[in-house]
Amino acid sequence: MELLITSLALGIISFFIPRNSIKIFGLFGSFVSLGIACVHLINFNPDSIVTLFEPQSMPFGLTFHMGYDGLGLMMIALTNFIIPIILISNFNNTSTSESPLFHALVFFMQFGLLGVFSAEDGIMFYTFWEFTLIPIFLILYWFGNGTNKILLKFFIYTLVGSLAMLASFIALGLNANSFDYQDLVAATIPMEQACWIFTGIMLAFAVKIPIFPFHTWQPDTYTTAPMSGTMLLSALMLKMALFGMMKWLLPIVPEGLVEMKWIMIGLSVVGLLYAAVMCIKQNDIKRLFAYASISHLGLIAAGIIIFSKDALVGASVQIVNHSLIAVGLFLIAEILESRLKTRELNQMHGNATLAPKFGFWFAIIAFASVSVPFTAGFIGEFTLLKVLTDTNIWIGVISATTLVFGAVYTLRAYQLSMFGAPKLESLEDLRWNELTVFIVISLAILLFGLFPHLISDLVGPSLERFITLFNASTSH
Amino acid sequence: MEAIIILFLIGIIALFLGIMNQPRISTFLSIAGLILAGIIQYHPLNILSEKYDLLRFGDTGNAFVLLVLIITGFIILTGDKSFQNEKNHVGDFHALLLFSLCGGIILIGYQDIFMFFLGLEILSIPLYVLAGSKKQSNASSEAGVKYFFMGAFATCLLLFGVALTYGATGSFNLVEILVKTQFSQQSAMLFVGLLFILASFLFKVGAAPFHFWVPDVYQGSPTVFMGYMSSVVKIVGVYAFVKFFHIAFVGLHEFWAPLIAILIAISMFLGNLSAMMQSKFKRLMAFSSITNGAYALMAILYPKSVQDSSLWIFMVGYATSVIAMITISMIVNDEEDEISSLKGIGYRNPFLGLVSIVALLSMSGIPPFTGFFGKLMVFSGVWTQYPWLIVLALISSAIGVYVYLRLVMTILSKEDSENQTSLSIHPFQLIVLIGCLLILTFGWVMISCWK
Repeated sequence: MELLITSLALGIISFFIPRNSIKIFGLFGSFVSLGIACVHLINFNPDSIVTLFEPQSMPFGLTFHMGYDGLGLMMIALTNFIIPIILISNFNNTSTSESPLFHALVFFMQFGLLGVFSAEDGIMFYTFWEFTLIPIFLILYWFGNGTNKILLKFFIYTLVGSLAMLASFIALGLNANSFDYQDLVAATIPMEQACWIFTGIMLAFAVKIPIFPFHTWQPDTYTTAPMSGTMLLSALMLKMALFGMMKWLLPIVPEGLVEMKWIMIGLSVVGLLYAAVMCIKQNDIKRLFAYASISHLGLIAAGIIIFSKDALVGASVQIVNHSLIAVGLFLIAEILESRLKTRELNQMHGNATLAPKFGFWFAIIAFASVSVPFTAGFIGEFTLLKVLTDTNIWIGVISATTLVFGAVYTLRAYQLSMFGAPKLESLEDLRWNELTVFIVISLAILLFGLFPHLISDLVGPSLERFITLFNASTSH
Repeated sequence: MEAIIILFLIGIIALFLGIMNQPRISTFLSIAGLILAGIIQYHPLNILSEKYDLLRFGDTGNAFVLLVLIITGFIILTGDKSFQNEKNHVGDFHALLLFSLCGGIILIGYQDIFMFFLGLEILSIPLYVLAGSKKQSNASSEAGVKYFFMGAFATCLLLFGVALTYGATGSFNLVEILVKTQFSQQSAMLFVGLLFILASFLFKVGAAPFHFWVPDVYQGSPTVFMGYMSSVVKIVGVYAFVKFFHIAFVGLHEFWAPLIAILIAISMFLGNLSAMMQSKFKRLMAFSSITNGAYALMAILYPKSVQDSSLWIFMVGYATSVIAMITISMIVNDEEDEISSLKGIGYRNPFLGLVSIVALLSMSGIPPFTGFFGKLMVFSGVWTQYPWLIVLALISSAIGVYVYLRLVMTILSKEDSENQTSLSIHPFQLIVLIGCLLILTFGWVMISCWK
C-alpha cells in the first residue's frame, strides 16, 4: 500500500517545492521509497505472494488487485534503488535537477513502474504500462532535444505495440470471464486463438525491449533524450517488457509458444548480432551504448523464451546487472558529452591522462559490461548462454559471439575516448556525485557477481511457480 | 417528464429576462433549472408519469439525462463570457439551449416513433438558430443554413422511413414493431423503411457516408455551440439510434448489423485521416467527432450496450474532453481558429496545459483516464462478434494518437513561450475546467459507482 502511494504523493508534492530545494527533496523522497522497499524485502518470504490491495471487484470483470511475488519484489526493489541513483547522477544538470516538474515526472514514472510490477489484473497491468509512457514522453519532450518527429515515432511505435497487447488482453479476458491474473492463468485458450494472442502481447514487449525488427525507434530516442530520460528508459522501462514476458506472457499463453518459439529465438539472436555489429561501426558514443543495450537485451529475451529455471534465474540476474550497467554507461556518455561538447568518438582522445579517476571508473564499468568474472554479468550471461547451448548448439555458438563483439566495441570505445595524445589541455575530473554513483554501481555489480544466490533465492520460488503453470498448460 | 417541463418553463423565463435586460440572472436561473431538473429526474413527483406512457427513462435513461444536464451546465458556464458580449441575446441563447435540451431528454426517454420524431425536431430546430447566431460572420450564417437544409433533408428521409415502417407493421410503438417484425412475414417495405431511418440517423450523428456537413457546420458555428453539437447532440443521437435499433429492429439484426459495422469502419478512418491534415482547431474537432461518433456507434453492434455502462462511460469521457478543449480554445480566443494559436499555452498557464494534456490523452484512449475505460468497454463488447472491426478500431486509435499528440506537442511547446500575454480565465470557465479534470481523472471510480 504505502509502497505505491509514496511515489504518487512525492510526485504531487514536488510541484509545490521551490526550485532551490527540490534537489534535496527529490533525493530525500527517493530514499524514503528505497527504505520502504527494503522493509518489504526484509519481511518477504520467497515462497509467498504478498497482497498489497485486497481484490476489489469492479463491474465488467475488472478487479482492483495488487500484490507481488519474488520476481515482482525484485523489480520493485530495483526500481526504488535505481531512481535515487538517477537523481544523484543528475545533480550537475541544472536544467533538470532544479526543476520541480522534472522531479514530479520522475516520481510519477516510479509510480507507474511500481504499478506494472505489482499489478495482479490484466487491465491494471495495461493501465500502468501505458501510464509510464506519459511521464517519460514529457521528460523527453521538455528536457531533451529530440525533434517532434523522433518523439512521435517513439510514442506511436510503443503505443501501437501496446494496443495490440490490449486487444490480446480483451480476448483473454472474455475467454476467462475475468482479468484477474489467477483466472487468466487458469483459463485454457483455444489453440487457434493462442497464436494471435501471443503475437499481440509479444508485439508490445518486442517494441519495448526492443527485439530486432522493432528497434528502430530506440537509437534516435536515446541519443536525443536527456541523460536521466535515457537512464529511465534503458534501466527501468525496458525491464517492464522482460518482466512482462516472464509473468504475463508465457505462463498465460504457453500454447502460443509452440509455433512462435523458434521465430522468437531467431529474431532475438539476429537482433543481438545485428546490434553488436552496429556497435562496432558507431562513432557516436551514446548511439553505441544504445545499440549495446539492444544486444544485451536480445540475449535476455532469447533466454526467457527457453523458459527453464536456469534460464529465468540467469535472466533475472542479467536484468539487475544490465540496469546497473546502463546507468553507468549513460552517465559516462553524459560526462564526456557535457565536458567535451561532442559525442563523436574520434574527436575525443587522451582523456585518461587528464582525468585519471574518470578513466579508472570507466574501465570498471566497461569490464562489467563485457562480463568479466566476479561481475554479475558473468553469472547472468554465462547462464543464459549455457541454456541456449543446451537447447541448440548452433544458437548457443552464435549467441556466444556477442561476448567477443561486446569486448570489441566496449574496449574500442574505451580506447578511442581515453587513450592517445590528450586533445584538451585540462579536463575536469569526476565530481563527488558522479564518483558516488560509480562506487555504488560497481559495489552492487560485484556483490551480485560474488553472491548471485541473493537474487536467485529471492526469485526462485516464483519462477518455479511460472514454470509449473507453463508445463501444466503445455502438457494437455 | 417533470424535468422537461421545468426546463421548458425556465427557458421561457430566460426569454423574458432578456426583455428586462438582466443577462446575469438568466445564467444563474438556467443553472438552477438544470440542477432542479436533475433532482426531479431522480426523485419524480409522479404527478404525470403514471398516466403518461410515451416517455420512460429507467436507470440507464436517468444516467444519460444526468450526463446531458451536466454537460449543458458546463456549456452554459463556459460560454457565459461570450454570451455576455452580445448583451441583447443572452436570454435567447440560454432559452434556445434549454429548449434543445428538452428535445434531447425526450430523445432519451421515447417509447414511440411519434415521440422520437418530436424530440428530434425540438433538439434540432433551436440548433439551426444557434449555429447561425454569430450574425456578422458569413461562415456562421452558412453553417446555420447548411445545418438547416441538411437537417431538413434528414428529417424527410426519416419521415419517409417511418411511413414505410408504419405501412409494414401498422404501429408507431417500438415494442409493437418488434413483435410484428419478429413473428410475421417481413415485407420489402420494412427493409426500405429501415434503410431510410438508418440514413437519417447517420445524418444526425454525422457518420459516413452522410458526414459531409459536419466540418463546415462545426467550423462556422460559434465555438460554444459547436461544443454543444459535438457533445450533447452526439450523446442523445447515438443513444436514440442504439435504442431504436435495439428495440424496434432487433429482429432484423442480421440485416443491419454488418452494414453498420462497415460504415463504422469507414467513418473512423475517414475522420482520423482527415483530422491529420487540419490546421483549424474546430475542423479538427469536427473530424475527431466523426471518429468518436463511430466508436460510440459500435455500441449498436452488441446487445446490453445500453444496459451495462459501456456507452455511458464512453460518452462521459468523450463529452468532457470536448468541453475541456473548447473551453481552452475559447480562453485563447483566436479569431482565425488556427491550431498554431494554441502554441505554448502550456507554458503560459500550466493549469491549462495540464487540462489539455489530460483531455487529449483521454480522447486518444490512453489509461488511466476515463476515455480509455469507455473505449475498453465498448471495444470488448464488440470483440466476440466483430474482431476485425476491433483490429481496425485499434489501428485507427493509433492514428488518432498521432493527431492528438501533435496537438499536445503544440500546446506544450516551449518555442512560443516568450509570448507572455496572460490568458484571462473567467471564474466560470475555471469551474468547468476543474470539473472536466476531475471527471476525466477519476473515471474509473465512476465505473465502480455505476450500480
